[in-house]
Amino acid sequence: MVDLEKLKSIAKETVSRDDVKYLIGWRQGTYGFRVSPHFVEKPEEAEELIFSPLCTNNLASYLVLPEKLPLPRGVEPDSRKVALMVKGCDSRAVVQQIVEQGIKRDEIIVIGCPCEGVIDLEKVEERFPNQLESVTAQWSNGKIIFHLPEGNEEIPKEEVLATKCLTCRYPNPVLSDLMLGDEVETWGDEKYEDVKELEAKDPQERWSFWEEAFSSCVRCYSCRNVCPMCYCEDCILDRLNPTWINRSNNASENTAFHLARAFHLAGRCIECGECERVCPAGIPLTKLNRKLSKVVQENYEYIPGIDPESKPFQSSYRPEDQEDFIL
Amino acid sequence: MDTKKLSKDKLGEFVAVLAKQNKLYIPQKEGENLKFKPLSGDQEELDFPRITTVPPKDVFFPQTETLYRFEQGGTDISFPKEEEEAVVLGIRPCDARAMAIMDSLFSWDIDDPYFLNKREKTTLIGLACLEPGVNCFCTSVGGGPASTEGLDILLTDLGEDYLLQVLTEKGGKIKLSVEELLEEAAEDDLDTAEKLVKEATSKIGRSINTDGIQEKLPELWESPLWKNLSNSCLGCGICTFLCPTCHCFDIQDEMEGLEGRRCRVWDSCMFEEYTLHASGHNPRPSRRERLRNRINHKYSYFVQNFGKIACVGCGRCIDLCPVNIDVLDILSQVVKEAI
Repeated sequence: MVDLEKLKSIAKETVSRDDVKYLIGWRQGTYGFRVSPHFVEKPEEAEELIFSPLCTNNLASYLVLPEKLPLPRGVEPDSRKVALMVKGCDSRAVVQQIVEQGIKRDEIIVIGCPCEGVIDLEKVEERFPNQLESVTAQWSNGKIIFHLPEGNEEIPKEEVLATKCLTCRYPNPVLSDLMLGDEVETWGDEKYEDVKELEAKDPQERWSFWEEAFSSCVRCYSCRNVCPMCYCEDCILDRLNPTWINRSNNASENTAFHLARAFHLAGRCIECGECERVCPAGIPLTKLNRKLSKVVQENYEYIPGIDPESKPFQSSYRPEDQEDFIL
Repeated sequence: MDTKKLSKDKLGEFVAVLAKQNKLYIPQKEGENLKFKPLSGDQEELDFPRITTVPPKDVFFPQTETLYRFEQGGTDISFPKEEEEAVVLGIRPCDARAMAIMDSLFSWDIDDPYFLNKREKTTLIGLACLEPGVNCFCTSVGGGPASTEGLDILLTDLGEDYLLQVLTEKGGKIKLSVEELLEEAAEDDLDTAEKLVKEATSKIGRSINTDGIQEKLPELWESPLWKNLSNSCLGCGICTFLCPTCHCFDIQDEMEGLEGRRCRVWDSCMFEEYTLHASGHNPRPSRRERLRNRINHKYSYFVQNFGKIACVGCGRCIDLCPVNIDVLDILSQVVKEAI
């Protein structure tokens, strides 16, 4: 359990340092069960920080999201550190960004939050619809307690947790400069059941499944933008000359978009599930990324985002690596 | 006003008649996504959701629309075939108001034939909102659960029947085509409808006073508000693509072999590419400027140009934003901000 008072005092201390730009955490959102990323620049802003089962966002995306704007002559870039609160899954994104040299280890301060699983907002909002007033939540002995205006509701956590959390293998941050609270016991076991279910279908059935899913895509690119591993400065989707992927929305172009993204994430996706969480069309994107994770894990024993000293999967080679796919 | 009643038992027949004579759009699922699509033969049961994920603007302003086709090396172009008569059934009053707002834009200095032809040939049959959602705020921006602006017919669910109010000449024509399915409405039915709408209005929990926002926004141009609000913005297109009034588009030429088409596709002011100049310069270089523009456009520039706010209070941008950027929260901060 994360001690909120400890969190706030650490945050205040951290953002008071001259070499820290801001701390990124979570705060209660504007209504209901919503939570919002919170950028703490001044000590007093730390009062709003929370850590609860509602903190779904993977904040590691904000390490790579800010635009690198051209600076006026003579102005030095802001080299202050960014402090970041991470759950287990989020910490894997940070590790992977370090492995890929997307960020440098000494540019960040990682505040680890052992996590007992976060909610699936859809499941919770279905159970408690039209909730306008802000609701807080906490973990308690395998249950999640929601503090609703009419009283507390205790729900067994399996009923409201995000699907990714049910099989979570890394509830404790794999990288941190300081930990808030004691490590939690690991409960998950990854058997890729959902992927196997799809693999068992015949190709035609699989194609129909994805064709329908991709047809519903609105091309808002929220999956790409929220992804902590999608941080190319020059994205293939934005290219016009040549145009790799047309701007028109149809099953073919949408498929090209999603497959391009999935391939670019092979051996890099840390399965935080943010792409699927944010998708307004409900496309089951994690199934796609997890298929590639499974292939990489089974064939090369590689799990991304665990060891900051490791080499990136796609640019490393071991003599015993399989090469039977090379014609 | 011509007011009738349609028994729910006859809804199937009503739909069949409409579909026979028109291209009929109704809310349907595509994957997990809800949107208005032409009725296909195998529609089992009619279900009108509170709101569709994709607003019905795409009936008139499709995400991808062919303007004309051409052949490489040739000089001839061919235009898409003429629009059919169409009916949109089950559109919510907020989304219908959005169409009235878009009309001003698409008939501004130059008439846009693609949009206006479809508007002219399409009848909007609305369904009053009796169960508003948590983020509905239509009453703050000039609408309401039974607002008739932009609609040709308004249906109100009375339980066993729908009250059917004809609002325009176009609506009258549709009514004639289904006349034999309709019954006379009694005075009581009108009272019931009025009562239900009143109850629905009282259930709307969110609001904002928009007075003075138009004038205040430009004065807050350099306010730190925009930096703070945009820190968490992902820069994705959810709030604009799924907004019923957002109407920005890009024009692209797409080739397949020697055949090509010029098409227009939805664009979003939240994308970096949107304002990127050929030189590489970008006048809206970061999410701060882009978020500021989105709010200014809806609540200030559009008001200056057309005398109305380009927001109908449907709440989609709030419902769907993955990082809880909440337009009502932004507007209330704008109101509070000292200049």
